[in-house]
Amino acid sequence: MASASMRQFKAMLRKDVVMELRTKEMLMSMGLYSLLTMVVYFVALSQAGAGFDPRDIAAGLLWLAFIFTSMLGLNRSLVHEKDQGCLEALLLSPVDRPVIYFAKVTGNLLFLLIVEALTIPVFAFLFLQGETIDLRTMALIPLVLVAGSIGIAGVGTLLATMSVNTSGKDFVLAMLFIPLIYPLLLGAVMATGAAIVGTPEALGVFWTGMAWVIGYDVIMLLASYGLYEFIVGA
Amino acid sequence: MGDEPQTTALEVRELTRAFGVRRALDGVSFELPPYAFLSIFGPNGAGKTTLVKVLTTLLNPTSGNAKVLGLDVVADAVEMRKRIGLISHNPLLYPDLTAEENLRFFSEMYDVPDARGRVAELLEAVELDHRRLDLTRTFSRGMLQRLSIARALLHRPEVIFLDEPYSGLDPHAMDILDGLIAQIRHEHTFVMISHDLDKGLELCSHALILARGRIVMYEPREAIDDAAFRETYRSTVGMGVA
Repeated sequence: MASASMRQFKAMLRKDVVMELRTKEMLMSMGLYSLLTMVVYFVALSQAGAGFDPRDIAAGLLWLAFIFTSMLGLNRSLVHEKDQGCLEALLLSPVDRPVIYFAKVTGNLLFLLIVEALTIPVFAFLFLQGETIDLRTMALIPLVLVAGSIGIAGVGTLLATMSVNTSGKDFVLAMLFIPLIYPLLLGAVMATGAAIVGTPEALGVFWTGMAWVIGYDVIMLLASYGLYEFIVGA
Repeated sequence: MGDEPQTTALEVRELTRAFGVRRALDGVSFELPPYAFLSIFGPNGAGKTTLVKVLTTLLNPTSGNAKVLGLDVVADAVEMRKRIGLISHNPLLYPDLTAEENLRFFSEMYDVPDARGRVAELLEAVELDHRRLDLTRTFSRGMLQRLSIARALLHRPEVIFLDEPYSGLDPHAMDILDGLIAQIRHEHTFVMISHDLDKGLELCSHALILARGRIVMYEPREAIDDAAFRETYRSTVGMGVA
């Protein structure tokens, strides 16, 4: 059974990747949105005074961009499944509902991480050029990106499944997603900010933030795992 | 259940499904013998699609119960899904996958043995083998429906649900669907929702009229007087939505 579930999981993930490589809909829209957000931030902050240190708000800006970018992708990923009743076809097959959930989460996570990996260098170029940064602590940023993105993809996939059948799905997803993601945002900004500042005392803050994010991931993934069957069968 | 022959393919008892305060199904009960062909008629909003969704495990009942091939639609849902298929007016196919990729994907979902051979066999049966490498978004409505039939038959289901399968089909696609149904008619149980009285009565061994979530008439074909049936149907269509 476990091997059948693994095969089904891989097939669903492969299908999502093949379709995305063909259409590039999610990656293009998320990537462009994220890059445009960076440009808007840059223009908005270009008039800040000489005493302004972008490192103070860098983590917040970055995660806000990722949160809004992810909503764009989450909606698209479920709309693909709703097109021509594909989600119904999946639900008709003898696949455990959690396998469907985790395959969608993994796909969304993968695409979000690709967009984040493209955004970070642009962000660093626009905001951190010439700033004093510690490369050793900066190397910790991928950890918080992965942990934070797992939470975003986990909660977002569940909420997108709930909202995809509603008439104002974008609005409904935002209304549910933003309040629920708040604790994750807090931990992720704390950890990312500490990694950017890079002082020895910031390391303690980094791990506190990481613990917050990982705790959120575990709780929300378990809750989503338990709720998914109810949500798709309700 | 063991190896005992199944005496009923469908067993529905006091089935109710509510959406808020509205009851789309309201105490529906009936039985269907194996290898029967049930045609379900009724006005829009009568509860036909809700009934099929509950019987195919896509919706949970609010109360009552239903069994398909002796398996409970809630408790035995995963086991049941291996033995049923659905052909809907919606193709249930990914537009950005090719015909072959769609069937291969669903073969993996159903763990179909010799998937490559089965996919090739079905593509030939629905006369789409020459388009197997084309994205399904380039297919006509009739071609999508033929591929949808292949998808539904991949895992050799014992009970096949058809939700207005002829809707939007060109005559050629209708002939193919008729041919496929005729080929497997006596080895499967069929449940078909239809607004086409002639087609539904032509195919069925049992007919059911549903209105406002309740059964208005349920008879085996041989007990049906066509004129009286049409009259009952016309009067139920006048009853409007539930």
